[in-house]
Amino acid sequence: MKTYSVDALLAHEKFQLANPGVETNKEIGSVYIGDLLSWVMSHSEQNCAWITVQTHINIVAVAVLLEMSCIILPEGCTPDEDTQKKALEENIPLLVSPWTAYNIACFLKEKMES
Amino acid sequence: MKELSLHINDIIENALKAEATLVKLTIVEEPVQNKLLIKISDNGKGMPKEFRSRAMDPFTTSRTTRPVGLGLSLFEASAKRSGGSLKLLSKENVGTVVLARFQYDHIDRAPLGNMVSTITAVILGLNKADFIYVHRIGGETFRLDTREIRQMLGDKVDLNDMEVIRWVRGYVREGLAELEDQR
Repeated sequence: MKTYSVDALLAHEKFQLANPGVETNKEIGSVYIGDLLSWVMSHSEQNCAWITVQTHINIVAVAVLLEMSCIILPEGCTPDEDTQKKALEENIPLLVSPWTAYNIACFLKEKMES
Repeated sequence: MKELSLHINDIIENALKAEATLVKLTIVEEPVQNKLLIKISDNGKGMPKEFRSRAMDPFTTSRTTRPVGLGLSLFEASAKRSGGSLKLLSKENVGTVVLARFQYDHIDRAPLGNMVSTITAVILGLNKADFIYVHRIGGETFRLDTREIRQMLGDKVDLNDMEVIRWVRGYVREGLAELEDQR
């Protein structure tokens, strides 16, 4: 599977950056979906794009710990203010999308294979 | 639920449905001891014995039987998921106590959420009932008692009055902001 970048993802109208100023030239190597943080911590991997409906500050901690490429909030979820700030501080791109996690994952699969 | 305040709202709603005239919410945050405690007690009609044993089971609390919905099971799941537990004490015609414990720094513990909005919403839904809110962080305590507010207002002004609600919001916001330093 080839990679795709956060930048390329942001060029698509269905994805918006919630924390402008963050570095977005990151490669996405895989996709992970999950909302139970302890589970995500033990099962996701480095360089993944993580799709979660959780919006509190702990998601940034998980992304930093696992060196993820970005966090994507599906279905119009919006991040808490301190989450946004922390993600900027820690240089984790935080994206929002109106799509479901499934739609986002399908989209990424298509892009990563082409 | 994404925030614990949603559970709190839910359980308080149960209490008011059970015809409680007084509901008390106690939140104790002990970051140093890694403990978070949420207690909701009411003097409502309580649960009959046979119902109480089933109250935590989401499949038996259907609309026909119910003073309670999914609220308790979800709240319990939330607590267990974050290294805690939920205790339910209820006596018919006496009242109900829901006591949830959480590990403060557990990664899966949802944040408390916006307590200012939560408390405001609770007070808006009280009607004739009264509400006590006690929030302790470390050694500091914030306290609000609608009985005292009603006393100050006299009989002519309603608790739901927009002016009063606005004052309550400010009072809770300031009170909790002072507590924040204890975290």
